[in-house]
Amino acid sequence: MTQLDLGTPGGIMLALLPELLLTGWALLVLLVVAWRHRTAEDSRLAGWLSFAGVAVSAAGLAALWVNGATPAGLAQMVALDPFRYGADAVALIAAGGTILLSLGYLERESLLAPEYYPLVLLSTAGMLFLAGAEDLIVLFLGLEVMSVGVYVLAGYDRNNPASAEAALKYFLIGAFASGFLLYGIALVYGATGTTNLSLVGAQLAGRPLPLMAALGLGLLLIGLGFKVAAVPFHMWAPDVYDGSPTPVTGFMATGVKAAAFAALVRVLLEAFPSATSLWQPIVAGLAIASMVVGNLAALVQRSLKRMLAYSSIAHAGYLLTAVWAGTQAGAGAVLFYLLAYSLVTLAAFGFLSVFGRGGERDVSLDDIAGLARSRPWVAFGFSVCMFSLLGFPGTFGFMGKWYIISALAAERQYILPVILVLTSVVSAGYYLPVVMAMYMRPAPDSERYAGVRLAPAALGAIALAVAVVLLFGVWPGPLLDVAGQSALTLTQTGLPFAGP
Amino acid sequence: MPATSLLGPSLGLSAILFSLGVAGVLLRRNAIVLFMCIELMLNAVNLSFIALAQLHGSGGQIIVLFVMTVAAAEAAVGLAIILAIFRLKQSVDLKQLNLLQG
Repeated sequence: MTQLDLGTPGGIMLALLPELLLTGWALLVLLVVAWRHRTAEDSRLAGWLSFAGVAVSAAGLAALWVNGATPAGLAQMVALDPFRYGADAVALIAAGGTILLSLGYLERESLLAPEYYPLVLLSTAGMLFLAGAEDLIVLFLGLEVMSVGVYVLAGYDRNNPASAEAALKYFLIGAFASGFLLYGIALVYGATGTTNLSLVGAQLAGRPLPLMAALGLGLLLIGLGFKVAAVPFHMWAPDVYDGSPTPVTGFMATGVKAAAFAALVRVLLEAFPSATSLWQPIVAGLAIASMVVGNLAALVQRSLKRMLAYSSIAHAGYLLTAVWAGTQAGAGAVLFYLLAYSLVTLAAFGFLSVFGRGGERDVSLDDIAGLARSRPWVAFGFSVCMFSLLGFPGTFGFMGKWYIISALAAERQYILPVILVLTSVVSAGYYLPVVMAMYMRPAPDSERYAGVRLAPAALGAIALAVAVVLLFGVWPGPLLDVAGQSALTLTQTGLPFAGP
Repeated sequence: MPATSLLGPSLGLSAILFSLGVAGVLLRRNAIVLFMCIELMLNAVNLSFIALAQLHGSGGQIIVLFVMTVAAAEAAVGLAIILAIFRLKQSVDLKQLNLLQG
């Protein structure tokens, strides 16, 4: 265990090592693309350079994690606990995967504007701040740094009306939501006189919740609910996921969601542990609505991309049930499920980008019929993704759901797990037809996507993700330990100031 | 408790402005007007922060500086996106944006 003194510049720089490395690297990449931005080769160079940046930042993160860095005294602005490290790791994996998927995609779709990769890095830096925020202001700034970058990425294919429209919708709804979040912060600040999460928790402990703080909590939940796309704040998600370039969709569905969930867990568990009776019914309502609406709406989608968008709303519902638990085990389950979900979702959107050529929005079941014959490995990988999203035993997704259910059962809560299982059964109604189409239906006559190939980098990333999903599906032990420990220390940092 | 001036009226005004912003976003259909309503929401919150800073010290005033910076960054990106839409559609009316149907 290393104690970092956050009162000194050196201590702060060490505590922010992953964020600083990533931001510095992003500026470096910006400088490089200022000179090298004309050809496809330059775009590849920027891509690999950015991937190296993510790796460097991950190394900084690993150094903090391995040394078990904790703050000497109170964490002022940014948390130093394994929960932050775990959430940061998911965000970095999402960023690395997105970069690898983009390498071939941008070239094929002739989207060679040079800002793409620096934007990915900078919004990832925002995610790291958001996931580690110990102060509501850092939370707001992290959220905005992340979002502003992703607004641009969503509209990256700006000559494509669908992409531009997606960017506008995402921007308007995102800015609207951050207005609510900010008002929530103002009210919590007014009620407690501080924006530090632990101190807010200490102020609110042991007395009835002031009306102002309760209103603030509600507005914070609305703001974060928009970001994680929970029903009823989800209406933007299918449109935006649908219109954005596919690797960016993967980034939004994984990194953005992971960071927002980490922030949600931290706000609820550190600042409002004394108000569980107020937020648990709200979170339960959001979770049930997301699971039911997400899964039912996914059933009727024709386009695979929209189907995956609705499926990601359903998964936000599963994650919210783990948030509901409000315990260490629940927080661990959130991290564990986020990793399982992010790997699979990135791989699934990666497969979808195989079909690119601007027509990926229209990829339907008919287009992938008989894929097992012409491209057996793509079909196999995509099937693994579908089974893992479904939560089929033997995949990572199953372990994630099992962990969530056991966290809920420990709280003697049985209604949410039952709904989770039932809606998962419903989800078989749209995941399994994908597998059946690939393996059991004859290939269509038109070879619409015959010549389309994935770039080697993307192929490697997807293959790795699929392998990890299968590996941890049968051997989750070590990862469960890590997730369990992460959650433990989250609550420990919160506890000294929380009430009895 | 330190002396405060106009705390209640300021918070009330801020709530009214915020509600006006929300109503504008929900009712209007022009992207520029929507964006202005969102700015109104952010600045209403700024007023709250300033008013509350009387009770809790200068922290609230510093937050306002951050919020204004963020609002400026959002304006830059948002107006660029609206411009891109206008080039494609010759309109910024959200009713015309129906490519993606929810």
